[in-house]
Amino acid sequence: MTPQRSAYTRRTVLKSTAAATAVTHLTSAPAIADDGGTSEITLSVNGQRHRVAVEPRVTLLDALRERLGLTGTKKGCDRGECGACTVLVDGERIKSCLTLAVMRQGAEITTVEGLARGEELHPVQEAFIRRDAFQCGACTPGQIMSAVACINEGHTGSEAEIREWMSGNLCRCAAYQNIVAAVADAAKETPR
Amino acid sequence: MTGLVGRGVARVDGRAKVTGAARYAADNEVTGVLHGHLVLSTVARGEITEIDTSAALAQPGVVAVYTHRDMPRLTLPSFPFLKGFLPLQDARIHHNGQPVAYVVAETLEQAQEAANHVRVRYRAERPTAHLADALGEAFLPRPFRDRPNEFTRGDAAAALKAAEVRIEQDYTSPTMHHNPIEPHTSTAVWNGNSLTLYESAQGIIFTRGVVAKAFEGFGVRLEDVRIISPYLGGGFGAKGPTWPHTLINAAAARAIGRPVKVVLTRAQMFTMNGHRAEYRRSLRIGATRQGVLTAIVDTSTGQLTRTEESIFNTSDSTLNLYACPNVHVRQMGIRLDLPSSSYMRSPETTAHFGLETAMDELAHELGIDPVELRIRNLPATGNTGNHLQECYRMAAKAFGWARRDPRPRSMRDGNEYVGWGVATETHTYSVFPSSAGLTVGVDGRATLRAATQEIGTGTYTVITQVVADGLGMPIEHVTTLLGDTTYPPASLSAASATMASVIGPASHAAQSARDAVIALAVADPRSPLHGVPAQDVVAERGYLFPRGDRGRRDTYHGVMSRHGRPVEVTGSKQNTGGRSHGAVFVEVRFDPRLAALRVSRVVAAYDPGRVLNHRTAHGQVIGGVTWGIGFALMEHTVVDRNTARVVNPNLSTYLVPVCADTPSVESFFVDRPAEDSTALGARGFGETPGTGVPAAISNAIFHATGRRLRDVPFTQDKLL
Ligand code: FES
Ligand code: FES
Repeated sequence: MTPQRSAYTRRTVLKSTAAATAVTHLTSAPAIADDGGTSEITLSVNGQRHRVAVEPRVTLLDALRERLGLTGTKKGCDRGECGACTVLVDGERIKSCLTLAVMRQGAEITTVEGLARGEELHPVQEAFIRRDAFQCGACTPGQIMSAVACINEGHTGSEAEIREWMSGNLCRCAAYQNIVAAVADAAKETPR
Repeated sequence: MTGLVGRGVARVDGRAKVTGAARYAADNEVTGVLHGHLVLSTVARGEITEIDTSAALAQPGVVAVYTHRDMPRLTLPSFPFLKGFLPLQDARIHHNGQPVAYVVAETLEQAQEAANHVRVRYRAERPTAHLADALGEAFLPRPFRDRPNEFTRGDAAAALKAAEVRIEQDYTSPTMHHNPIEPHTSTAVWNGNSLTLYESAQGIIFTRGVVAKAFEGFGVRLEDVRIISPYLGGGFGAKGPTWPHTLINAAAARAIGRPVKVVLTRAQMFTMNGHRAEYRRSLRIGATRQGVLTAIVDTSTGQLTRTEESIFNTSDSTLNLYACPNVHVRQMGIRLDLPSSSYMRSPETTAHFGLETAMDELAHELGIDPVELRIRNLPATGNTGNHLQECYRMAAKAFGWARRDPRPRSMRDGNEYVGWGVATETHTYSVFPSSAGLTVGVDGRATLRAATQEIGTGTYTVITQVVADGLGMPIEHVTTLLGDTTYPPASLSAASATMASVIGPASHAAQSARDAVIALAVADPRSPLHGVPAQDVVAERGYLFPRGDRGRRDTYHGVMSRHGRPVEVTGSKQNTGGRSHGAVFVEVRFDPRLAALRVSRVVAAYDPGRVLNHRTAHGQVIGGVTWGIGFALMEHTVVDRNTARVVNPNLSTYLVPVCADTPSVESFFVDRPAEDSTALGARGFGETPGTGVPAAISNAIFHATGRRLRDVPFTQDKLL
């Protein structure tokens, strides 16, 4: 028995979509070399500009983790289902495994490493510790980034609303009720 | 003792976890690291007849592609390597999703892409994938880890026949997967014959043993292997055993001569690292009209493989929870063409779900309150009873159980039927030999080292608390280091064993170190304590002073800086395993118009012995209860009958509870030290919560709807 394979693998499709998107979106098109299409791009992460060489198929998540050494952002599923990779792009929460690094040039990216001001934690980080809103911590960077955005979006009017708008971030340790409490706390402290 | 133990202090690793600074196994930057990607079989049974790696090898960045033809030959390890065979060693296929090739490339994307170009041909045989398709092949497996799969007490068959009342029902549960958020990962770094692994492992000492065994043919000894795992992104049993990807990756790194990193994809985690096996259970219960159990016959049948016959989901509660004189338990198995199952959080849940649902059926049949029925059957003496009755009292009161109208469909709120159900929570915990090294430095601060792990249960925090308390030092002056096999050997983070195993050694080390520092102080003419009898000196918040004379004080810092050398001690203490219990009350709401069901309220009370940290203990409760909700209402791995392939290997079709699925859980603890525990009176506890939740939900559904569900998960189609 031979496994049936379509001529296009998921990756191939992803690659061609990426290339198309990259071309249409970029103001300053990167120089794409002939050898596998690696290009030098600039990513602005946590207020710092980074030059990085990536192929168009490299996700923002893998660029952060494997190229920039920003491993605070976690990979739980690599397909948009768990939320562990949530980062802010121009203030909005997105799943960094579902976007390509080349598509995010010129955007301001914030990861969990960029929330604290020196020694002073962000109110959401403080609230997560105070409310014990995590156990293993694998989902936590994603939960925290999602919580920051959830508060900014104004989706913290009630416990039920927080539960709904934080449901894109799985916590297998199930610290959910403490996450809800932490988000509610931080929402009170955050001027909007 | 300064009252630190028991307090709900905030997690000492909290800052690292909320800032992204905590380094999980896949977060280490290793110079020159290559990336590996596994190619998995697409048939479940048969043989590889042809494998062509030339196209994969021609892909950019590819360094090597290994198959069974050229993979270095390893030695097959035994427990806790569970599979009974090593993939990539021969052409045989034992299950769908078994590794058939390993691609190593310069970047992750290159490895993933090249993996698509490995061409495999199989001679496929028809697999058997469901218990229902092979019921005639059930057999009694060999004892597993010295535990037989059949137990008898009294004469259950005769007692059942003579019973005044009988409940005879079947209960089933499907395959389920652990799905920790952090995928399994391993990075192998060889230096000559020494191997360092950055590993997502729940038991680094166990993993070291397995790895050393696999490579013994290369002259690798136990002491050549170092496993590093300071933070685990969840495990739930999935990372307790050592799985093939670790060995394959290490073998590739050795052959290539460069470090290699592997991270399993979410889909691969459905065939690469164990699961909770599919179970069927036939339960026959006999009782008197007063509700006193006279017989239990419990026959379970679980999925095994053709290379492995371990039963991980034992029927402990049938045997131990209630004082029934006649019990016959058989844990049967059927060999299927599937991956090996393994331990998964609260393994007894599969069995306990049947028992606690049957108890509710008995209560209903006899018209006895289900709480009362259970209390009538608790053993009068011995470990089993502990304070379970008190748990029932505490939780029932907080829940408002007395207001329950026992008739099904009797309680309504608007369009919804309200159902209240109850069950006992129970878990058998283990202990593993453990030790801990403690150093008090010349700065007067302490560092504890132990080769156990932080899996999310609060190991860093509770150990730090206990050590600070034992030393009489502020908690900020104590650092705990875990997850490195160069530290003194310590417990697996599994079977709720960590606290029960490690707290005794940690507190022993703290007391020895405190005594050693006091001895230095009283012998030192420069100390205000010079000449004071050592036994009269107490330590509190970093100060040392004679009891009742705080004015005449020295400090750890003072003593140690004058001494000029660190004090180093090792702590050890034996403990024994046991059981911990609780009671859980659940409210469900059912809207008959939509057949929509939700769990709206959970109240639970537990007897975990002494509670070492209320905050982390509560964390285990909310985690366990939520797992119980997932078990009852949604989790199931669908295996295709014809191909034995997992149909839903992802988190959008294998559903786990999300924030909006879960109610807030209220928890209570009896909080009295267990006399038989050397862990400062604490019992193993983490996996107790949740064990009774599926039955409590089933019982609540019966109360709400009048329908008795015995097959989890209770998805909407079963409620229509
Ligand atoms: S890793 Fe991006 S959503 Fe799971
Ligand atoms: S804290 Fe472990 S997954 Fe959320």
